[in-house]
Amino acid sequence: MRRLRVQLTVLLAMLGLLVAAWGATIFLGARNAALLNASEQFEVGRFDELRRSAIDFEMKFVDAETNQRDFLLTGNRGARMRYALARRRADERLLRTGVLASTWPTLLLPLERVQTAYVKWAKAAEAEIGARDRYGPGAAAVVVSQGTSQNRFTELRVNHTALEKLLAGLQVAAARQQRSTYQDTQRLALYAAVMILATVTLIFVYLRRAVGAPADALRSASGRLAGGDLDTPVELPVPNELGAVAADLEVMRRRLAGRMDALQRLRDLSASVMGATSLQRLCSVALAGLGPEVGATRAALAAVDQRGQLQLRALAGFDDSDVTEILVKIDEEIRAALPLDDLRDGQVVGVTDVGDLASTAAEPVRELVARMGARSLALVPLVSRGSFVGLLGLFWSERHPLDQEQEALLGLAGNQIAGALAAALRYEEAERAAGEARAVFYAIADGVLLTDPAGRVTAMNRAMELLSGWTEAEVKGMPYAEVLPVEEEGSLPIPAEARPLARAIATGEPASDQGYGVDLVTRDGRKVPVAVSSAPILDPRGGVVGAVDVVRDVSREREIDEVKSALIATVSHELRTPLTLIHGFAELLVLRDMPVERQRAAAEEILEASRRLGRLIDDLLSVSRMESGRLVLNPRPLDLASVVERILSPFRAMAVRHAIRAEVASGLPVVWGDPDKVDQILTNLVGNAIKYSPGGGEVVVSVSVSVALPPELREAGLPDAAARAAGDWGGVEFVKVSVRDQGIGMSPREMGQLFEKFYRVDRDEVRRAGGTGLGLYITKRLVEMHGGRIWAESRLGAGSVFSFTLPSRDDLVGRGSR
Amino acid sequence: MKLLIADDEPSVRSLVHVTLEGDQHTILEASDGVEALAVARSEHPRIVLLDIMMPKLDGLAVCRALKSDPATSGTVVVMLTAQAQERDRDQGLAAGADDYFTKPFSPLALLNMVERVREARPGAGEPAPGPR
Repeated sequence: MRRLRVQLTVLLAMLGLLVAAWGATIFLGARNAALLNASEQFEVGRFDELRRSAIDFEMKFVDAETNQRDFLLTGNRGARMRYALARRRADERLLRTGVLASTWPTLLLPLERVQTAYVKWAKAAEAEIGARDRYGPGAAAVVVSQGTSQNRFTELRVNHTALEKLLAGLQVAAARQQRSTYQDTQRLALYAAVMILATVTLIFVYLRRAVGAPADALRSASGRLAGGDLDTPVELPVPNELGAVAADLEVMRRRLAGRMDALQRLRDLSASVMGATSLQRLCSVALAGLGPEVGATRAALAAVDQRGQLQLRALAGFDDSDVTEILVKIDEEIRAALPLDDLRDGQVVGVTDVGDLASTAAEPVRELVARMGARSLALVPLVSRGSFVGLLGLFWSERHPLDQEQEALLGLAGNQIAGALAAALRYEEAERAAGEARAVFYAIADGVLLTDPAGRVTAMNRAMELLSGWTEAEVKGMPYAEVLPVEEEGSLPIPAEARPLARAIATGEPASDQGYGVDLVTRDGRKVPVAVSSAPILDPRGGVVGAVDVVRDVSREREIDEVKSALIATVSHELRTPLTLIHGFAELLVLRDMPVERQRAAAEEILEASRRLGRLIDDLLSVSRMESGRLVLNPRPLDLASVVERILSPFRAMAVRHAIRAEVASGLPVVWGDPDKVDQILTNLVGNAIKYSPGGGEVVVSVSVSVALPPELREAGLPDAAARAAGDWGGVEFVKVSVRDQGIGMSPREMGQLFEKFYRVDRDEVRRAGGTGLGLYITKRLVEMHGGRIWAESRLGAGSVFSFTLPSRDDLVGRGSR
Repeated sequence: MKLLIADDEPSVRSLVHVTLEGDQHTILEASDGVEALAVARSEHPRIVLLDIMMPKLDGLAVCRALKSDPATSGTVVVMLTAQAQERDRDQGLAAGADDYFTKPFSPLALLNMVERVREARPGAGEPAPGPR
């Protein structure tokens, strides 16, 4: 494409030539004119000389004729001499004129005529002179009178005049010719100028066509490109360099348009990935967006989990479920094979041959690569706000080296996807947190209800459904105060605006109603004591967007509270009564003079009260130890027969009104038990038997091998209960101890809570007997800690039998203690 | 002067008995609320010492019954209780009790109280609550 240059060169050369020709023309013309001028000058000079010579000639021959006449008339010798001189001069002039005129052929004939005429005149004039000389004046007169010479002279003059005229005409013609030469030169110069002008015009026109217009077109095309118009093609069908520039521009435009398209697609991709909330969707969208751009057919998406570990999260384009499974399974090995350092730096890594990458990797990875049939791979790091959040892998079935443009595109796309991935991960986390919150919300044992700022229910958990009798679906949108009406003690409805939830919404601070005796009225009208606490739900700017009401059923707590108050009252009462006696009698002893027997009675009262106080404290400590699990048994093999004897002997000594006896069967197995605790059990039961048979009577402690079951099992109606029990208990023998009295006995109603803490049969005889209500409770716990059971049989007024069992094997100790 | 001591603890009754004997007082005893009310109505004691925790009918109920009956409303009712909480005391006073002894009480204080009642109204009739 050197045409423009060649053309321009040719044109310029032509122009140069023309200018040169023009110059030459002017130069030559001028030179010619100058030369012509010089020859003319010369000729003019000659011509002038010729004319002068001709005129001289005329003057001389006229002089000669005048002097000849003079001589003829006068015979003056002087005249004759002058004549001769003039004649010589005339001859000379004539000769000279002839020489001078020789260059003008047109003069030859007239000159010849002049010469002829001169010669003729001269002959005649000579003849006359001769005549005179020889014949004297008369002869001369005659000859003259003939007029020959006169005629001849006239003729000469005529011819000479003709020559003169001719010469004058010739001079005019010469002048004319000189002028015409100048004109020719001028004309030539004019023609040359016109030609040059024409050529320049041609060149101009050509340049305009070949350079100017295309340059304008190029200018406007580049202007359009610069202005961002990538749609209008650059067309310039001129076969020269400008055309080539235009073609280049067009290529450039197409590439730019391509880039713009790619950018547009990238934007579309960005928009679609931003909409993807699940990682699977994100992976599919990324493949759909990037696949056509770069030709990849499969994609894998990995995300950095909370432990900072890269984890494969989604696949797209993998039809082979086997491969999918393997990919997930060998995530760890794949991770090890990845150039993670480069990726963390944000570099797109193109792997033209996956085989190369896999060759150094673990066996399963190589296997997977072979199986997957992927030839090339691009690893696009997903970096969001400077942190590496994941990795997008793109797979090609064919060999596909990544070019720079694709790498750049993938890098850009990676940024978009990274943002979306980070958002998706945040979304996932938020979902998880919301799920957790939901799970907590629904699982929490207290009733929880959510409302909007207007107090309308938006959610309610299971506990609240159970508590209120409503279901969540029924109450959504209802004012919460209608769902959960509450009353103060005394059945006064609490107005909605005074409730914690309303206060929380109004103040933006948590509020609660606790310990004020608030009752919730359930859907079916029951009243449940509740503690209510509420908190506003705040948005990040602190605006109230809702509220949460937590309602706890405190009926159990109330019960426990009441039990605790009763316990305190009981313990206080039980402690203060002996203390009152000690204080009172001691004060009387100090202040009063009393007879000795009175003093003794008072001291006994004090002693008994002190014992009672001691027992009470022991019992309370035992209960406390047992209930806190600090009471530990130290079981040892025990011979119950001797234990019973040892326990009974002090009672026998004290209880004079009672017949206390032991009935011990023979061949008893050794039982396991903590000696102190077994003592306590027996002491309690025997003590009770004596205490509650104020009228005296028999107290019998019998010890036997137990095959019998506690009454509640017997009542279950098992036909062969004993054998079965023996089998159930692994054939382990128990020793049964029964304490029988003939005392006041109990009604079935009174027996109901017999073994419960602080239970006292509400009867005078019982009151009178004193006691803390802890003895049987402690006894039962101790028996059960040993793996035995305790029960009572009684009839009102007909005495009672308290029985317990103890196992004969140590590994059963502790069984059933709770 | 006639006094009634109502307490289910025989030893407490015995203590009151021993404390007041020898001052020419007639000391009546009751071991539960029902008995206490019956004795108070039939014997019209000047002072009734009532334990709160009693079988059948508690001391507060007995006190209310006595104070609401014009025949017995003039009786000086003194609560004897093992419960030292404010609430118990308030309940007792709300029930119309004239005085309140918390166990353990001092026999001397009891004597003083009885003495004040006797001095305030040597004759039978109006209640004369002693200061605590």
